[in-house]
Amino acid sequence: METYLEAEGLTKYFDGVAAVEDVSFVIRRKEIFGLLGPNGAGKTTTIRMLSTVLAPDVGDVCVGGHSVIREGDEVRKRIGICPQELALYPELSAVDNLVFFGRMAGLSGREARARARTVLASVGLESRGNEVVKKYSGGMQRRVNIGIALMNRPELLFLDEPTVGIDPQSRNHIFETVLSLRAEGTTVLYTTHYMEEADRLCDRIGVMDRGRIVAVDTPTELKRQVGDPDQTTLEEVFLHLTGRSLRD
Amino acid sequence: MGRSFHLARFELRRYLAHRSDLAFGIALPVVLFSLMMVALGPDAKFRGVMHVADLDGGSLASRILERVENADGVAVRRYTRDELADALGRAAISTGFVIPPGFSASVESGAPASIVVKSRGSGSDEGRFVTGIVQGALRAAASEIELRRVAGVLVGDPANDARLDEAVRQALAGARTRPPVVVVTESMWVREASQLDRLLAGIVVMFLLFSGTLGARALIEERRTGTLERLMTTRLSAGELFVGKFLAGIGRVVLQSFVLLGLAFAVLGMAGPVVFLQCLVLAIVVAAAVTAIGLVIAAVARTEEQAAFSAVVLTMFMSVFGGTFLPTSGTGWLDVLARFTLNKYATDAFVGLFGEAATLADQGAELVILGAVAILGLATAGMMFRVSSSAV
Repeated sequence: METYLEAEGLTKYFDGVAAVEDVSFVIRRKEIFGLLGPNGAGKTTTIRMLSTVLAPDVGDVCVGGHSVIREGDEVRKRIGICPQELALYPELSAVDNLVFFGRMAGLSGREARARARTVLASVGLESRGNEVVKKYSGGMQRRVNIGIALMNRPELLFLDEPTVGIDPQSRNHIFETVLSLRAEGTTVLYTTHYMEEADRLCDRIGVMDRGRIVAVDTPTELKRQVGDPDQTTLEEVFLHLTGRSLRD
Repeated sequence: MGRSFHLARFELRRYLAHRSDLAFGIALPVVLFSLMMVALGPDAKFRGVMHVADLDGGSLASRILERVENADGVAVRRYTRDELADALGRAAISTGFVIPPGFSASVESGAPASIVVKSRGSGSDEGRFVTGIVQGALRAAASEIELRRVAGVLVGDPANDARLDEAVRQALAGARTRPPVVVVTESMWVREASQLDRLLAGIVVMFLLFSGTLGARALIEERRTGTLERLMTTRLSAGELFVGKFLAGIGRVVLQSFVLLGLAFAVLGMAGPVVFLQCLVLAIVVAAAVTAIGLVIAAVARTEEQAAFSAVVLTMFMSVFGGTFLPTSGTGWLDVLARFTLNKYATDAFVGLFGEAATLADQGAELVILGAVAILGLATAGMMFRVSSSAV
């Protein structure tokens, strides 16, 4: 498969301490790539570098043939970000949020409004799009959060723990949305602390610990490193790779 | 720049959707100014009460009290000697009048007599006002008595009261219709700036400063929730984001200015779209300065609480020492301190316009200083602007 994203030697220091160190991996076009790791492993910092928010101290990332350092605007045209936090405006409606972020992504007013209707349908909120977001349930707010990331029809979608704190129905809807996006040709980078989610969704998984990538492979092959893939869970693999000590 | 304007417009919509911000920024001033309009509006007349113990009860004392009672804005309240002393002692009143026994008889016989004014300390504005009215009534009564005496001598029959009364009545009526001396007042058509003008201008500036600096809290909230960082993954550049936030801040403050100035004009009873427009232009410059200060606070503060605290402390400091509540003109440390506040220049400029003593063109120094604050603040905030709350 064709490589869509290639990270090469990514390193980032905060106050002299390496949050991410010499991270290299590739994400292939149209795959769902899981990025797993305990708290503080460096996942979010890595995503921020991949998405042009944070400049790496060392290394570079190539997204769709464009460097995040030298061609940030070209990269931003191609990506959509759904952060861990509900990064939206709760006092406004879902439509207002979607249209606004669509405009900021370069769509015209008419395009943004049309795209908002499509996106609302894809996240299952077409009938409640004009309600203010703060009146939504947690699951609905999470879906709006994802919807915003879809406004510019991204080729690469970053989903940073998109299912935290929501009910099984909303979680299942998000899974279906992610799978349908892949079917439409979107490449997805997915982070989560739920191992069964990663096992179910991801084509390949990269495990990070203490700022470094410690393994990259398919879920089956990762399980094989620990034991019988049919008998081993991804959580066992995760604990095997990152250890059992508590993290801050 | 198109995205910056769109961002600013969106921010204004958010502001209008935020009930607590609207309540503080617009509803609170509406209530405050309405109360001031009722209490201090241009139609409000000064009213005073003459608290008097009339121990004489004679005809002259009665005529004087009647004359005071007929004066515009003054009422007469009668006391006994003890009641008056008690009211003064309790500070229920600040000034009382005592007409001593035999007052009327003494005056009519040509002997000297006096009315005693008792004041707590230097008395109050009301006391001084009423004393002036009483003195006027006394002078009128004295003139009448003198006229009656002269007329008695002239007609050669002082005992004939009816003829004397008629002569005095005619003389006084003639003086009223053809006064021998009049004071002519020429108006320059310039409204003098009053203490009320300064208070209202100061309050307008104080609210604008609150609005501009408290905008910092909203910016930090956006940094915390990640919307700023999310915007940085769109096509919006950091410069466009910064400019958009600045324009939004100006828009919010100008919107508030429109309401506040409208209220201030209603309280002051001012008319004239030219003055209003000049005030609005001044408000835009003030808005730029306070928004820039707000952006500096947002750049320095780490949390929303820090931002809110900084905004409130800064606003209160500038309002108190910038002449909102106390005049700071002249010399001394208060005047020196006032020069370091934005309020002094903004309030002085508004007072000049409110009083119609100056036009915007006359406010060059104030406008330059406010503009300099805006540019300096913007440059400082621009250098320190962050989109993320984490250690980036």
